[in-house]
Amino acid sequence: MASQVIREWVGMQQFSSATELKLLELLGKTKQEVHSVSTLTVLVMGKGGVGKSSTVNSILGERAVAVSAFQSETPRPVMVSRSLAGSTFNIIDTPGLVEGGYVNDQVLDLIKRFLLNKTIDVLLYVDRLDTYRVDNLDRQIVKAITDSFGKEIWRRALVVLTHAQVSPPDGLSYDEFTSRRSEALLKIVRLGARIRKQEIKASSVPVVLVENSGRCNKNEIDEKILPNGTAWIPNLVQTMIDVVSSDSKGILVDQKLIEGPNPNNKGKVLIPFILAFQYFFVVKRIQKWIKNDIATESRPSWA
Amino acid sequence: MASIAAPGLALSVHRSHRRLTPATATTTTAASVPSLTIKSKHPTFPSSLNPKPSSSSPRNNFDILGSKKLQNVIKTTAVIGCGLYALSNGVSNAQLSGNGGGGSSGGSGGGGGGGGGGGGRDSFWSKIFSPAAIAGEEESQEWDSHGLPANIVVQLNKLSGFKKYKVSDIMFLDRRRGSTVGTEDSFFEMVSLRPNGVYTKAQLTKELETLATSGMFEKVDLDAKTNPDGTVGVTISFLESTWQSADRFRCINVGLMPQSKPIEMDPDMTEKEKLEYYRSQEKDYRRRIERSRPCLLPPPVQREILQMLREQGAVSARLLQKIRDRVQQWYHENGYACAQVVNFGNLNTKEVVCEVVEGDITQMVVQFQDKLGNVCEGNTQYPVVRRELPRQLRQGQVFNIEAGKQALRNINSLALFSNIEVNPRPDEKNEGGIIVEIKLKELEQKSAEVSTEWSIVPGRGGRPTLASIQPGGTVSFEHRNLKGLNRSILGSVTTSNFLNPQDDLAFKLEYVHPYLDGVYNSRNRTLKASCFNSRKLSPVFTGGPGVDEVPPIWVDRAGLKANITENFTRQSKFTYGLVMEEITTRDESSHISSRGQRVLPSGGISADGPPTTLSETGIDRMAFLQANITRDNTKFINGTIVGERNVFQVDQGLGIGSKFPFFNRHQLTMTRFVQLKQVEEGVGKAPPPVLVLHGHYGGCVGDLPSYDAFTLGGPYSVRGYNMGEIGAARNILELAAELRIPVRNTHVYAFAEHGNDLGSSKDVKGNPTEVYRRMGHGSSYGVGVKLGLVRAEYAVDHNSGTGAIFFRFGERF
Repeated sequence: MASQVIREWVGMQQFSSATELKLLELLGKTKQEVHSVSTLTVLVMGKGGVGKSSTVNSILGERAVAVSAFQSETPRPVMVSRSLAGSTFNIIDTPGLVEGGYVNDQVLDLIKRFLLNKTIDVLLYVDRLDTYRVDNLDRQIVKAITDSFGKEIWRRALVVLTHAQVSPPDGLSYDEFTSRRSEALLKIVRLGARIRKQEIKASSVPVVLVENSGRCNKNEIDEKILPNGTAWIPNLVQTMIDVVSSDSKGILVDQKLIEGPNPNNKGKVLIPFILAFQYFFVVKRIQKWIKNDIATESRPSWA
Repeated sequence: MASIAAPGLALSVHRSHRRLTPATATTTTAASVPSLTIKSKHPTFPSSLNPKPSSSSPRNNFDILGSKKLQNVIKTTAVIGCGLYALSNGVSNAQLSGNGGGGSSGGSGGGGGGGGGGGGRDSFWSKIFSPAAIAGEEESQEWDSHGLPANIVVQLNKLSGFKKYKVSDIMFLDRRRGSTVGTEDSFFEMVSLRPNGVYTKAQLTKELETLATSGMFEKVDLDAKTNPDGTVGVTISFLESTWQSADRFRCINVGLMPQSKPIEMDPDMTEKEKLEYYRSQEKDYRRRIERSRPCLLPPPVQREILQMLREQGAVSARLLQKIRDRVQQWYHENGYACAQVVNFGNLNTKEVVCEVVEGDITQMVVQFQDKLGNVCEGNTQYPVVRRELPRQLRQGQVFNIEAGKQALRNINSLALFSNIEVNPRPDEKNEGGIIVEIKLKELEQKSAEVSTEWSIVPGRGGRPTLASIQPGGTVSFEHRNLKGLNRSILGSVTTSNFLNPQDDLAFKLEYVHPYLDGVYNSRNRTLKASCFNSRKLSPVFTGGPGVDEVPPIWVDRAGLKANITENFTRQSKFTYGLVMEEITTRDESSHISSRGQRVLPSGGISADGPPTTLSETGIDRMAFLQANITRDNTKFINGTIVGERNVFQVDQGLGIGSKFPFFNRHQLTMTRFVQLKQVEEGVGKAPPPVLVLHGHYGGCVGDLPSYDAFTLGGPYSVRGYNMGEIGAARNILELAAELRIPVRNTHVYAFAEHGNDLGSSKDVKGNPTEVYRRMGHGSSYGVGVKLGLVRAEYAVDHNSGTGAIFFRFGERF
């Protein structure tokens, strides 16, 4: 991957100049504030088949990763890097985290190892807008991500809802539907990430709607727009800018984060004290009990 | 078990054919130790005890026992056995007290005689040993008709001395009450005559003498009534002895006291001399009481007897018999098998003194026997045996059969002897004393054993071939009792295939060194050093519910172990030592595997599961200290266990070994068996219902390889699950409760159990709990019944909600 030649961001041209400006601004932000070398790394995660790869392609404005409608085309994480005005934009596409109704630890492990020594600036947690329910599995995914990268990652996260061009169920307006769906998903995220109530405000995760389909409506300047009229790519970029410019830091994935804290080293220094405690308060106590037993033992009448 | 029958001791001096029936206790122990016996061989007393009738027993009312006769008794008896001793001693005292008491009061009454008697219970023996009875039986074929008119009463001295009379029946006539007494009366036991026996006049006279001198009667007569068929009916009419009422009772131990030789009483003594004589006797007796030791009879029994005395008013012979029976009953019930009431003294003085020979141990002898039963020199050192003997069996203590049994059990637990006898024997040199003899037959010191087995494994095509027949077996040797100090070396090698032993070879070499602090030191510490190996299936690499077969991991351990065990009680002990071992983890095909395998959802197997060892190479070496303290005060009440058991174990890593393992792995187990109802203890009584409460905490700080992780689930963890089905964690807590209700000879039980990883599964490297999709916690409940050694139980696993029937050997707790 490292040897991969970083190509010029050609797809950028498709976007309107406003979007391009925003992207530049975004990259500039990382340059000024976070890194001396300007790099922005976006990690895309989510269930299988929700449109992670498509979103990546939409953002890049080119068919950078293979997409198939019916099966998983992403067996392992893929990082696509594009350079723009001296800065590097990395976007990492990952395989779906769910397999057979379980969170696939192996995939998670694979992603973690792939991310070794990289800094994640933005996490895109992708799900579909047009699924009505959230279940325990969603929570487990969020939990798995939290366990892998820490709670902090949710300060750098965006919830991306794909298939945004959807007709809401009867009796619901589009906005109402999207807000309810986002709310439900955010609740799950908060649960899975174990964000406490006090922290909700500080770490509110923004929700962005996305429509990757080629049949997506477009506005007059040829930007893909959502049913409510928002051009979603600039919106996504803008939200990313907001997230990056918040006071949180990017997540550096190092060996320690991948393996978790070594449980074998936890509390090792306390062992001498534990041993002393065991001797004086457990062994001695039991010895006392035994002595007591001997003293109170009911002897046969002849003894 | 050994029971020493305690026949009643009659107050007759003649027939003190006391016999303690030989009691045999047989305990079958572990295979290597043959059965052993406790034998209490009391000699059968010779029948030559019949003292000659006293020629001149002055028939005043306070001298019942003639002194001459008494001396006869002493002379003629070779004093052996508690019973016999009782006899001779009793006589002398009876005489003393009778005379003394009578003299001082100048009134009526004499001493009650002591002695043994063939009671109803051992009438068989009395028949055999009573000369009269023998005579009767010998001549039962022919007897002479009385040759007198029928239905006349003939006095004894009118009977012919040459005839053998057949006695058709015997009647007792209480003159005071003017009625005959029934056969259940205690007096009946005193007569050796039996209906349909054949007796000569001399025998009948002797019988009468016996009765007359027993001290029980003031006056006894024997009349014969002729029957038409030539037989005679014997009527014994008597006047029971009575003494002044008493309101005090004292029981003294007169065992081992020197015999006071009575002074010959000259019949020509003047009144004054007689008075002097009685006074001196009285003084002697008082001194005797003073010198005697207090007896073991507890105050409640003494009070009970006092109550008997008060209710009765005058002290009668029958009452004394009753008291004697009660006192002896207490002694025998409490295991003092050699205790005898020998005499009642101080009658007519408001106080009844009950003299007891309790059976003091004068000597304890340990004897070794060879195979043929000859006394030989043993290899075992004497202190090894001696320290197993209860204090109550030492010299100066009163012999108790229970202490004897205890000694037997203790010696048996040494596993050094093939036959053990604990044998109380009367001390011939020291009247009333008991010599405790311990006879031991030693086991062979060295033994070696080879056992083989053939196993046929399916060969090619499933058909057994010659090559598929595997010779397997065990070679073991043992060298016991080194230096006579119970040190031993034992070794064994087991393989299932001698042709290819490296496949599966289990070996063990062990050295045991007891009495580490010296055999005389009461501290009981044993050093054990062993060299071992073992192979076990790791429960860490087990799937949760609904997970298909997880490829198994075998954990092989081989190493050295040395520990010291200090026994506080039979069950409570403290063990500490050093363990050095090498742990190798292997997969199914015996290849060393450094990581667990897992089945991928696609069906493939990936070998990147949790690491099996600390070093991640598949082979770990480590040294650690191990300590275990067990407190166990459980006991059996009618076959059900009741009490408390606490075990605490620590493995403390020393940082020696692969990856310098430094850890503290600890577990605490608390089990309580709460008796829910008080029950009477005894053989055949129902056991109480019991509530078992159990808690087990296990934890580890520091390096924790997966093979040392605590697993949840299994018959000894949470029933209803497979071994390790709930999880493998760093810290665990198990809680269990079981209610046992006795039903007939067995019990049924209901239980509920819970196991929890306390969220520590993730703290095991590689998180095997999660990798194999286990819950990390689980409960179960169920019911079961104990069928002999097997428990049959129905347990419901709460995680999946399904139940199953299990059959298990042994106990859960």
